[in-house]
Amino acid sequence: MNPNKTRTIQTSYLEGERLPHFKSLSGREYKEVYTPQDVSTDPGLPGIYPFTRGIHKTMYRGRLWTRRQQSGYRSGKESNERIKYLLSVGQTGINMDPDLPTHLGLDPDNPLAQGDVGLQGSSLVIYEDMVDLYRDIPLDRVSNTMIVEAPTSAVIIAQYLLLARERGTPWENLIGTIMNCPLSQFVGPTYQAITTFFSVEHAVKIALDVMETMIQRSPKWNIVNINAYNIRETGVNAVQEAAFSLALAQDYARKLVERGLAVDRFAPRIGFFSAVHMDVFEEIAKLRAMRRIWARIMKEKFKAKNERSMWFRTACQTSALPLTAQEPLNNIVRAGIQTLAAALAGVQSIHTTGYDEAFSLPTEESHKLSIRTQQIVAYETGITKSVDPLGGSYLVERLTDELDEEIWELLKVIEDRGGFVQCFLDRWVEDQITEMRYRMGDDMNSGQQPIVGVNLFRDESDSTKISIFRHSDSWQQQRIQEIIDHKKNRPKEPVKRALDALERQTRERPHENCIEPIMRAVEARATLGEIMDAIRKAIDFKRPGM
Amino acid sequence: MRKGNKNRLLLGKMGLDAHDNGIIIVAKWLSDAGFEVIYAGIYNTPDSLLQSALQEGVNAIGCSFLGGEHLFYMRKLTELLKTRQIDNIKLIVGGVIPKEDSDELKRLGVGCVFTPGTMRDTIIETLTDYLK
Repeated sequence: MNPNKTRTIQTSYLEGERLPHFKSLSGREYKEVYTPQDVSTDPGLPGIYPFTRGIHKTMYRGRLWTRRQQSGYRSGKESNERIKYLLSVGQTGINMDPDLPTHLGLDPDNPLAQGDVGLQGSSLVIYEDMVDLYRDIPLDRVSNTMIVEAPTSAVIIAQYLLLARERGTPWENLIGTIMNCPLSQFVGPTYQAITTFFSVEHAVKIALDVMETMIQRSPKWNIVNINAYNIRETGVNAVQEAAFSLALAQDYARKLVERGLAVDRFAPRIGFFSAVHMDVFEEIAKLRAMRRIWARIMKEKFKAKNERSMWFRTACQTSALPLTAQEPLNNIVRAGIQTLAAALAGVQSIHTTGYDEAFSLPTEESHKLSIRTQQIVAYETGITKSVDPLGGSYLVERLTDELDEEIWELLKVIEDRGGFVQCFLDRWVEDQITEMRYRMGDDMNSGQQPIVGVNLFRDESDSTKISIFRHSDSWQQQRIQEIIDHKKNRPKEPVKRALDALERQTRERPHENCIEPIMRAVEARATLGEIMDAIRKAIDFKRPGM
Repeated sequence: MRKGNKNRLLLGKMGLDAHDNGIIIVAKWLSDAGFEVIYAGIYNTPDSLLQSALQEGVNAIGCSFLGGEHLFYMRKLTELLKTRQIDNIKLIVGGVIPKEDSDELKRLGVGCVFTPGTMRDTIIETLTDYLK
């Protein structure tokens, strides 16, 4: 052992090993001890307004959370195999992620897209891809989340509705979610990322088109999922994550009301997707506070009558920010603790992030371990046997009250600035994010945020090897060729007619819902990139390369 | 701007990946440490990145990757440098890079590869030395 290390160990024994500070991850000071004097509100009961303790009376006694690991790579065929594998080891819902060109509305043969085809998700371009992706999966029995934002969510949902029709599955029986949020989904609300390939204002319009369409045709379908997770992963704190996402949800709710939809018709189909970072009690308190605030917003501001409208339903993903490339096995412990925190907070579904996150997409082995982590928490620990087991804890109740208050204040700031979409367009959001990113970097570097194996107990000699997921270069070329051939071999006239009709409607009747003409274009065998470009042309939006 | 400054570098991302936490933090660290940093943002192509590098007269280009597209883009960029016979721009890569690929990147001519968890001072010292 090197002499420095020995000295550190001896000193810490003599002086007593201590934390560098007692602040939470978001910077609040933890008190030495919490007592009944710290608690002023009665948290009430689960299943009863304002739902601080859970949206259901019986929570996990009635039904465990859904195990929903994100997956997607290469094309529909390969992703379908991974989905079936995940279901076979105990996954209970699907969480499908398309690749970057699909997210941004570019075809694989676009020169800008070539290096990213099929890497971070599945390449979904034409109707046939949807057929491959969901082969053998009953769309009315397995709940399916599609991780795609507006505007491309409109094409994906059009393909999906056509697939259901082709298979004879009635639209009203479809169960699942389309993320659909153009501001939070892609990588969170960073300005350049989401303004380069499409207009944000028009993307919001298309998101509302998708919501309206699904509310009317598929009442069990979740029309939007506010991606608080991606907001958080840009580096902001727990209060900002909560306030930004709740503010954004309010923006959508207001715009749906403006379209003439009744709040109790659409609000039960709005969902959230939150982060669970490492500070266990702060994260639990954040989720409890978000439940209470959403219930309050829906009841008091939007005058909802149906309790379901007031339910803050959230999926969760364990945060990838604290995961390290150093000693990667430590990440299994981190994700395990975060999974436990998510379950203690009473969330509706969990994605446990893979320990290989700092290296690559998850391998099959890592995917399976994530599911096992959740199963161990669910079946072995006993924490699921009583609802909201931390309810009444002086500390947790006090933190919940504090976070509630701070989130509410920040919500007001955003409201006064015209809502979240406006704050984004004004780059106020960007400024907040940049400031927090710098702070995150400094806290990591200074050890203010301790990360074992990185800024604490670092072991340069560690040589843990884990197997990682590898991509194949030749596959990308094949896929690009497949789409080039598709374009060459289909009848040209119907494609042109359908795209022209879509462009004309968008230009001449910009307020009309775009899903019908997009469905016609998909039927005419138009690709996702062609459909997006037709809309871009109609709204005079120039993307790079156009 | 002193064009001859050896610590003048361009940072940016190529391709469609928009995860930019790392590169933005590193850009700040470097500029606080006295480097002249020009940030080219995300969504660059190898051509556009090289174009900016030449216009700005930088001594090095630093690229960040997350989604597995590092070899594809760094091969394109190094080919481009070769075809255009540019040998006075050094290359740096940061991000989610598996160990074997780190070796491959170095074979392509990348001088330093920084993976997640690299501390600020290590980056600054390594780059100061490399750009000397």
